[in-house]
Formats: sequence, structure tokens, C-alpha cells
Amino acid sequence: MAIDTITEQEQLKSAVSDEVVVTMVSVNKWFGDFHVLKDIDLTVHKGERVVICGPSGSGKSTLIRCINRLEEHQRGDIVINGVVLDNNLKNIDTIRRDVGMVFQSFNLFPHLSVLENCTLAPIWVRNMSKREAEEVAMEYLTRVKIPEQAAKYPGQLSGGQQQRVAIARSLCMNPQIMLFDEPTSALDPEMISEVLDVMVELADTGMTMLCVTHEMGFAKRVADRVIFMDFGEIVEQNTPNEFFDNPQLDRTKLFLSQILAH
Amino acid sequence: MSDVPTRDADGMIIFRPKPSQPPPPNTTGVIGWLRFNLFNGIFSTLATLIGLAALVYVFLAFYDWAIVKGVWEAQNRQECRLGKEWGTCWAGVEFWFSGFIYGRYPAPEIWRINLAALILVLWMAPLWIPRVTAKSVIGLSAVLVFPFLAGYMFLGGERNLFMVAVVPVAMVWFAATMVHVLLCVLTGHGLGRWIIHLTGFSNRSDRAARYPLMAAAAVAWLLVLFAIRDWTLVEVGTNRWGGLFLTTVISGIGIASALPSGIVLALGRRSKMPIIRILCIGFIELFRSVPLITILFMATTMFPLFLPEGLVFNKLASAIVAVCLFAAAYMAETVRGGLQAIPKGQYEAAEAVGLGYWKVMGLIVLPQALKLMIPNIVGNFIGLFKDTTLVSIIGLYDLLGMVKAVSHDPQWIGLHHEPLFTAALIFFLACFAMSKYSQYLERKLGAGDRR
Ligand SMILES: Nc1ncnc2c1ncn2[C@@H]1O[C@H](COP(=O)(O)OP(=O)(O)OP(=O)(O)O)[C@@H](O)[C@H]1O
Ligand SMILES: [Mg+2]
Repeated sequence: MAIDTITEQEQLKSAVSDEVVVTMVSVNKWFGDFHVLKDIDLTVHKGERVVICGPSGSGKSTLIRCINRLEEHQRGDIVINGVVLDNNLKNIDTIRRDVGMVFQSFNLFPHLSVLENCTLAPIWVRNMSKREAEEVAMEYLTRVKIPEQAAKYPGQLSGGQQQRVAIARSLCMNPQIMLFDEPTSALDPEMISEVLDVMVELADTGMTMLCVTHEMGFAKRVADRVIFMDFGEIVEQNTPNEFFDNPQLDRTKLFLSQILAH
Repeated sequence: MSDVPTRDADGMIIFRPKPSQPPPPNTTGVIGWLRFNLFNGIFSTLATLIGLAALVYVFLAFYDWAIVKGVWEAQNRQECRLGKEWGTCWAGVEFWFSGFIYGRYPAPEIWRINLAALILVLWMAPLWIPRVTAKSVIGLSAVLVFPFLAGYMFLGGERNLFMVAVVPVAMVWFAATMVHVLLCVLTGHGLGRWIIHLTGFSNRSDRAARYPLMAAAAVAWLLVLFAIRDWTLVEVGTNRWGGLFLTTVISGIGIASALPSGIVLALGRRSKMPIIRILCIGFIELFRSVPLITILFMATTMFPLFLPEGLVFNKLASAIVAVCLFAAAYMAETVRGGLQAIPKGQYEAAEAVGLGYWKVMGLIVLPQALKLMIPNIVGNFIGLFKDTTLVSIIGLYDLLGMVKAVSHDPQWIGLHHEPLFTAALIFFLACFAMSKYSQYLERKLGAGDRR
């Protein structure tokens, strides 16, 4: 059994290629006078799965939101898939097409059906025909195991179902990178696992993932690397095994003891 | 009744729900309702009785005024008074009724107004027929194309070059819409499909399939253009327009222009570009802090000063421009309220999937915001419809203007109350209908996506 898990993990890790898809070089950001991100350096390879954790207010959300320009960084460089993220709108558009995002509060479009939520961007951004977009959408809705809900409206679904629709909606754009911002924190316990299952399956397909989460089981299972943030800095990063069993800094140790306490 | 529990084969006690029993007497039904709502204690009984007394009093007074004293047959006001002591002169209202509706529009030409109204109804009605396709095109053309046709039908006279071209466009468009609707209802396929099918273009690419449509439109346009080249309507100057007709023209144009211009202004007000933002804020605040009547006076007295000598800008056009500007400013604030109600997450999710500004607004934000704003938008429309009565002060004979004109008619001199009551009734019916329809719309649209 143990051997099984190891080989599985080895296999997953071998999916990580040399190609770099996210580069952040001494990225800094302020909200007014408040210094949220301090000299962030981060490189993510294609197929790599990175879990980001840290106490509330440490800048995790801000960090991943900088990657698709929902937040604007003020200093340093961000390069996504070879495209420099600057004020050039064309670059921002290119990057957003290739980067999917899943939010803590789902943010489905309540006036559109589940299917329409999924086909909207492919039709209007990728200029796909409606029929083609619907085929793609049904494929991903099947992957997240809710094809039968396609005609319903988001308000008629449970939280877990909504979050799976949100994942399918992002996947329909065929992104190279997926960002998750605490995708399970707004969910009841029995729904967390259905969303995590979908995320694990996604990880198995070799998707590059950056995931802010406190689900340590998920981190151990799929992450290639765990990043710990505090006060806007990357405090420590390591492979999950090393990170959890053998943290190097006292701050990390304290944090781990706190989240594992209950 | 036996309290011994029944058990199933495994010895488990079987749950049996208690049978429902009728409610205690007098809490339901008419008597129960009356008791509970109207005579529930001393205070409520007293309030009910006082309210009833007031209601009966008002009704009797009105009945006496309108029915008992009502005079329907008379040649002038004098006869009304003599016929019954201080009789209520409905005869005057009857005599003037056509004036209330059409103003001083020449009687032999009134069919033009009625026909235009009928065309508008026919043009809009398909929006409520489920089987009809391309509803957005039909709705938009009713707002953008119909006014040119109606404008010519109302005004008449020689057509200038622009009208020579546009009137046939509107006619062809209307005819095509009607044929399209019939085909949709009868065959399930729209006019476009049929043309493409009949010309044998159905298995060509989408782009090629457009050619027969364009050709058909061009041929129809040329035919109509040729057919009506010598046809003109008698010219009726805007000074003869009046009554409910004029009220509807002014408020209709105001309403149709208010929503798009209000949306543009509201988006401008939230724009990141300072110049655009300042311009929009300036416009909105300026027109919101000045009473409509002032804007109307300014429009009729000051516009002409800015215009070159020869160009005459008639009073009606000035009034319409003034009403449009005023309505746009108010609508902008209503729309802004709706935009603010949309959570930030909606913008973020839409941007994150790669939609640009206009698509985020048009596909995600505005559809939700407009739905939230329906009561306010309709409220705005109702307000505008009533506010157009102010144009009577700058000398246009809208419904209120016509009503006031009655009392200057030598035959009916001094007749105020009855015409005013009639105008009030007309306004009430129109506004009440709008309000009811908005409530229905709200319920219908809200049904799809309860949050
Ligand atoms: N738009 C904003 N304006 C000002 N301050 C902000 C803004 N967004 C976030 N902050 C502040 O920046 C800090 C980092 O926020 P961020 O959302 O990145 O934290 P986080 O690590 O994701 O925390 P959490 O676990 O609570 O989600 C917080 O102190 C927050 O108050
Ligand atoms: Mg966060």
C-alpha cells in the first residue's frame, strides 16, 4: 500500500517538465500604505502543483490574484507562459485566456444556466460556435460529475455542486494554468470532499495548479511543493513530506501545530 | 382508538402519521377572515367602521357628482347648468374628447395617428409570442426604425432625400417583420430561413447565406421606393399636434432614449478615465439639480440663440430634446444604483475567464443590474410620462394643455373639473397599467434564478 502511494507520487512528479510557466521576480504590492507582497520570487513549472498556505491576511489571495491581473502589482516582474504581465491590455487578455480561476465564493453568473455559465467565455472569448461550446461544456460537466444539472440555474444547486460548475467553467476555456483561492472554505464538510475529488482528478491530468488551501490532506496527496506565506513573504517552501514532517523555521512549525491542533 | 403499536414482521414499530383535522371554526373562510382582519378588538373595529364610513361618503359624493348630476346631452355649458341644477357637464368632455386624444390634428387625417399606433402594436406584439425568433431584432427595429415611419405619417408633406430613402426602409422592415412572424407561427421557421431555403443557399456557408437575404431586402426596398415615389401625405405642422397623442410622442421618445443614454452615462460615471467621468458627473448633476420646467424654458428660449439664423428649431423638437436630456440624467442615477448592487465577484469571475470591459458589462453586469432595476426603471418611465404635462406651460397642447383649452372655448367656457377628471383618469389608467406590468415582469424574470 505504502509502496503504491510512493510510486503514484513519483509518477505524478515526473509529469513536471522543465518548461517554466509562471515567473515572479521580486514582486511587490501595496494597498495604500500597506505592504501586502514583499519581494516575492516564485517559479512554477509546467505540470507542477503548488499549494500555498499561511495565516489569514498573509497575502495568499493577493499573490495568486496578481497572476491574472485581478490585482495589479506595483514593482517586480511577472511572466506567464512567456507573456510579460504589464499594462498592455492585449497581454492581459492573452494571459487571462490561459489562466483559469476558481474563487472561494464560486462567483457563478446567477442569471445564466449552468450550461450557459460554461459556454459563455468559449463563445465570446474564443469565438467558438454555440454547438461546439456546448459539447465542450458537457464534457467538462461530466468530468466534474454534474452533467444532469446543466439546465439548472446556480441558485438551485448546493455549494459543492456550484463550486464544481465553477471549475468546469474555467476548464472550458482550456487553460494552461489553474488558480484556486480557498475553493473549499465556503463549503460544508460533506461537500468539501466532492470538490477535492474533482481537484485531485484534475491534478492527475497534469494540469499546472496553484492552490491556496488549508486542506493538508489534499496538499500531501497531490502537491509537488507547499509554500508557506506570512506577512506578505514566502517564509518557507518545500516538498509536502519535508514541509509537514520537517519544517525548517519556527514560524512554520507554529503554524502547522495550529492548523493540525483541531 | 387503540394505543397498541403495530409492528412489522421484524418487530419494528410502524410509524403512522396522525390524520389531519379541520381547523377550529371561524379562523378560515369569509367570517374568520373578517373577524381576524377587520374586527379584531375594539381599536380595529373602530378603525374599520371609520374607514368604511369615509369610503361610503366619498363614493356617494362622487356618485352624486358624476352620475346623478351628470348631463350627457347638451350643446354648451349653459344647457348643462340649466338641464340639471349645476349639472356635471360630461357633454363638454364628449364634445372635446377627440381633442384630448389627438389635439387639433385635422379630423380627416386622424387615421394616420391610429394607423401608426396600430403598426407599433403589431410591431411590438411578436415580442410576447413565444414561437417567434429574432426577437431582439424586432424589438430594436421597433425602437430604431419605426420612429421614422411614424414621423413621416404624423408630419406628412414632401419627403426630403433622407426620408425618401428611409420611409421605404421602414415599410419593408415592417412588412418583413409581419411575414416573419406569420411564418414563425405557422411553420416554425423565420423569414430568413425561408429565403435562404427557397433560393437554395441552405447548404452554403453562413457568410454566403447572407447574400440572398441582402438581395431580397434591396429588391423589396427598390420596389417600394419606386411604388411610393409620387405618394405624399398632407402636411400637418407640429403646432396642430396635441392631446394624448403629443404626450405619448414626447414621453415615448424620452423613454426610448432614456435607457440607452442612461446606461452610457452611468458607465461613464464609473469610468477610470477622468475626463469622461467628469463630463458624465457634470451632465448628470446639472440636469438633476434643475427642475424640468426650467430646462424646458431654456430649451425653447435659448436653443434658438445658439443656432444659426436660418435654422428653425421648432418648439416641439426643443421640448423633446429637453425631456430626453432630463430623462437621461435621471435614468443614469437609477442604472448606477443597479450597477452598485452587483457584487465585485461577478466582475472578477467575468474578467478571469477573459471577457473584456464591454462584454463584462453587456453579458454579465447589465443583464443582472437591469433586472434588479425594473421597478425603478418603470417608476422612472411613469414619472416621465406624467412630467411631460409640463410642456403645456411652454405652450404645447399636450393632454393637459388640451384639457385646459376647453375652458377657453366660448361654448364650454369655464369648464374645468370634468375635463381635468377625464385627464386624471387617462393618466391613471396608463400609469397603473405600466406599474402592474412591471410587477408581472419582475415576478416572471425573478422566477428563473432565485439566489
Ligand atoms: N482591496 C484591498 N484594499 C486594501 N487592503 C486589502 C485589499 N485586499 C486585501 N487587503 C489586505 O491585504 C492583506 C492580504 O489580503 P489577502 O486577501 O491576500 O490575504 P489572505 O492571505 O488571502 O487571507 P485569507 O486567508 O483571509 O483569505 C489583508 O490584510 C487584507 O486586509
Ligand atoms: Mg484569501
